[in-house]
Amino acid sequence: MILNTTGITIPVNRAEGDLEIRVEIEDGVVTDAWSAGTMYRGFETMMRGRGALDGLVVTPRICGICSLTHLTAAVEALDAISGVVPPDNARRLRNLALMIETVQSDVRQSILMFMVDFANRQAYRGLPALDEACARYAPLSGRAAIEVVRETKRLLQGVAIIGGQWPHTSFMVPGGVTSMPDISKILQLRIIIERFTAWYERTVLGCSLERWQAVDSIAALDAWLEESEQHRNSELGFFLQLARQTGLAELGRGPNCFLSFGNLPLPEDTTVSGRGGRFQQAGWAEGTTVHPLDATKIAEDTSHAWFAPKKEPLHPYDGETKPYASGHSGQVYSWIKAPRYGGRVVETGPLAEMIIDGRPLFLDLIGQQGPSVLVRQLARFIRPAYVLDTMHIWIDELRRHSMDFFYRSTRAIPDGEAAGMIQAARGALGHWVKVEDERITHYQIITPTAWNGSPRDASGARGAWEAALIGTPIDDSANPVAAGHVIRSFDPCLVCAVHCLVGGRKRGRMTLGVGNR
Amino acid sequence: MMHPQKTVYWLQGGGCGGDTFSFLGSEFPDVIELFRRLNLQLLWHPSLSNSSPADHELLLSNILTGEQPLDILLVEGSVICGPAGTGMFDTKNGQPKKELIYNLAAQAGLVLAVGTCACFGGFGSDQVTEATGLQFARKERGGLLGVNYRSKNGQPVVNLAGCPCHHDVIVGALISAATEVAWELDEYQRPIEWFSTTVHQGCTRNEYHEYRVEESDFGEMGCLFFHMGCAGPLVPGPCNKLLWNQQSSKPRAGVPCFGCTDPDFPRATPFFQTPNIEGIPISLPMGVNRAHYMVYKGMAAAAAPEHLKKRTSKV
Ligand code: SF4
Repeated sequence: MILNTTGITIPVNRAEGDLEIRVEIEDGVVTDAWSAGTMYRGFETMMRGRGALDGLVVTPRICGICSLTHLTAAVEALDAISGVVPPDNARRLRNLALMIETVQSDVRQSILMFMVDFANRQAYRGLPALDEACARYAPLSGRAAIEVVRETKRLLQGVAIIGGQWPHTSFMVPGGVTSMPDISKILQLRIIIERFTAWYERTVLGCSLERWQAVDSIAALDAWLEESEQHRNSELGFFLQLARQTGLAELGRGPNCFLSFGNLPLPEDTTVSGRGGRFQQAGWAEGTTVHPLDATKIAEDTSHAWFAPKKEPLHPYDGETKPYASGHSGQVYSWIKAPRYGGRVVETGPLAEMIIDGRPLFLDLIGQQGPSVLVRQLARFIRPAYVLDTMHIWIDELRRHSMDFFYRSTRAIPDGEAAGMIQAARGALGHWVKVEDERITHYQIITPTAWNGSPRDASGARGAWEAALIGTPIDDSANPVAAGHVIRSFDPCLVCAVHCLVGGRKRGRMTLGVGNR
Repeated sequence: MMHPQKTVYWLQGGGCGGDTFSFLGSEFPDVIELFRRLNLQLLWHPSLSNSSPADHELLLSNILTGEQPLDILLVEGSVICGPAGTGMFDTKNGQPKKELIYNLAAQAGLVLAVGTCACFGGFGSDQVTEATGLQFARKERGGLLGVNYRSKNGQPVVNLAGCPCHHDVIVGALISAATEVAWELDEYQRPIEWFSTTVHQGCTRNEYHEYRVEESDFGEMGCLFFHMGCAGPLVPGPCNKLLWNQQSSKPRAGVPCFGCTDPDFPRATPFFQTPNIEGIPISLPMGVNRAHYMVYKGMAAAAAPEHLKKRTSKV
């Protein structure tokens, strides 16, 4: 595919960064799409030659909203290189902090980033629920928006109790964590989580966590919505109603292939159950058929990205990150490489987690209707409902085991290589690390947004959201709200202001910018 | 008390968004109260605004022509100038974002650099991305805007350092800006209100520092300065004075201070280690005399009380 790239330029390796999406439109419908990361920050290059532990300080700075996920991936790689198994309390504390970060991200993304589009007065002039949407989601004044700012901020106090601050702490170290909160602080943490859970039940779900667990099919979801005014008026219920009125179930299909690295290693002594030693299991899926994960099948293609050309896709242990912006501007259009699993395009995120963990509601939805903006966003909206209970259990275990170890001494990092592969809020995140003489010799990172927002590969296959954009109606190219829904359902970044950048070099073509701007 | 309305524009360059998320963590006031009570009109914030693409472009062009007055410009993230000074590693509409930052700064009543990247370049101030701060490149004056830059109200860029910048500092600076309270700035243009005390001040491990009872591995009680790379006594910052998220700080949780408010952050030497010569840190606390410090520390270690040596005192 040859494309004139004038107008979209440059970098990203911090894949949760600035993006510009270019689409081609025929008769008001997207017929082709190109996703470009427009910022290059060079983190992988920066890591080479630094101290063995420096990934714990440097990589959280890749992303301000999921700094702990980078910390977790970095520390799991170092644990593996050191051959150390962190004590149970360290597992609990690391998991709790990461879960808090994920939960706040899900709630902020859902209300402050996704739903706020429904308060777009121009785009939704005709929508019956417009006034209500504005009353709930208008920035800084909508009542749901205000509540989310306040509740998520208080939830994040829990990370500060565990690790000193949020964002950008480095309390996870190979062998465990740097401190154990005092018992009074653990009790405070418990109150923080309880309080947040009560708010989430009352406001977002409109029912108890327990009632929600019974929603295990499309029919059960419909029945849930019918059941009470409380359900319909909750943020989730309101989302489902708006989704019906605006056709979100028909929007944003994507590759129907999913990837999850699994997450949250279980303490040895715990009542929480999981599979393969983790609370969430790793795997990949074609539709609803789930397969085990084989990490050797991951490779990055750079045929359409501004990096030094390679003959074939490379596994991240062999990968390189050398910016190279000249010479082939015809087909190259992004600073994001194209990660592929066994050569295939996959989507990652909460929806992938739900499918690979075998959540019946999502197996039914994907089995019957396939992926869409509705299912993808629903998965994010309700993910906290599946983790808050487990957080309570781990806090109680911490309280009972408050005198136990939280760190196994691991001062020198031996030579070696390992990968830290986890689920970030936005999906599969991997750090591939090599250490020699207490120095980092190799660091490659594949972020969730690289999977979802990748450019084409050598075979011409579009990345996940490029593919999902095809068929999206664009009623007003100055205010392309449907394209915004599609991209935002993948939660590309903390900020994803979809906006029209250029009116078009040729009729019917425009560029959307998604990102930090 | 109602203040005259002021307009605010928040721009992100080469950064991670961490300052925005720090800002959202403010409690008194929280961001909602802040804008309401101070009568600040938020023209645009990338995480909070929902104006349509076309409206945002119109707003930008109105600011750039001077038609829309801009009282306060906040910039988060570094100014990326690579490769080879072109700025093409960070673009908007195919144009280097550094040009937009430059042009907005020319219209602004006051410019606040939020976070160490915007102040001094931070991550990326290396050969590859050639990032710089607004009025400094690391310790060197100049940056994108140049030594002589003054905003419309006559002030240099105010540097709210930190990676990320502390929420109370961002909010406090906006309150000062909205109410026209004047700042006193240090040599790196940081308000001394928050950047004259060190991170060390207020640290709960201070007693251990005083008697040189040191941590030599993670998870111990003790001071993190001599072996674990803590920069708390070396750099100014309010982390232990204000506390994070109304709760704690890194040193309180056993994580060394990485010196993130310093123009030279991130430092080149490994984190979690204290560069030293024969056990004596190369960098000594801000402003101390080496000879005096050595004598004092030697005597202090000898005088250390039992409860500290046995580490029975909680941190
Ligand atoms: S841990 Fe760091 S900040 Fe705390 S007393 Fe020691 S040197 Fe100071």
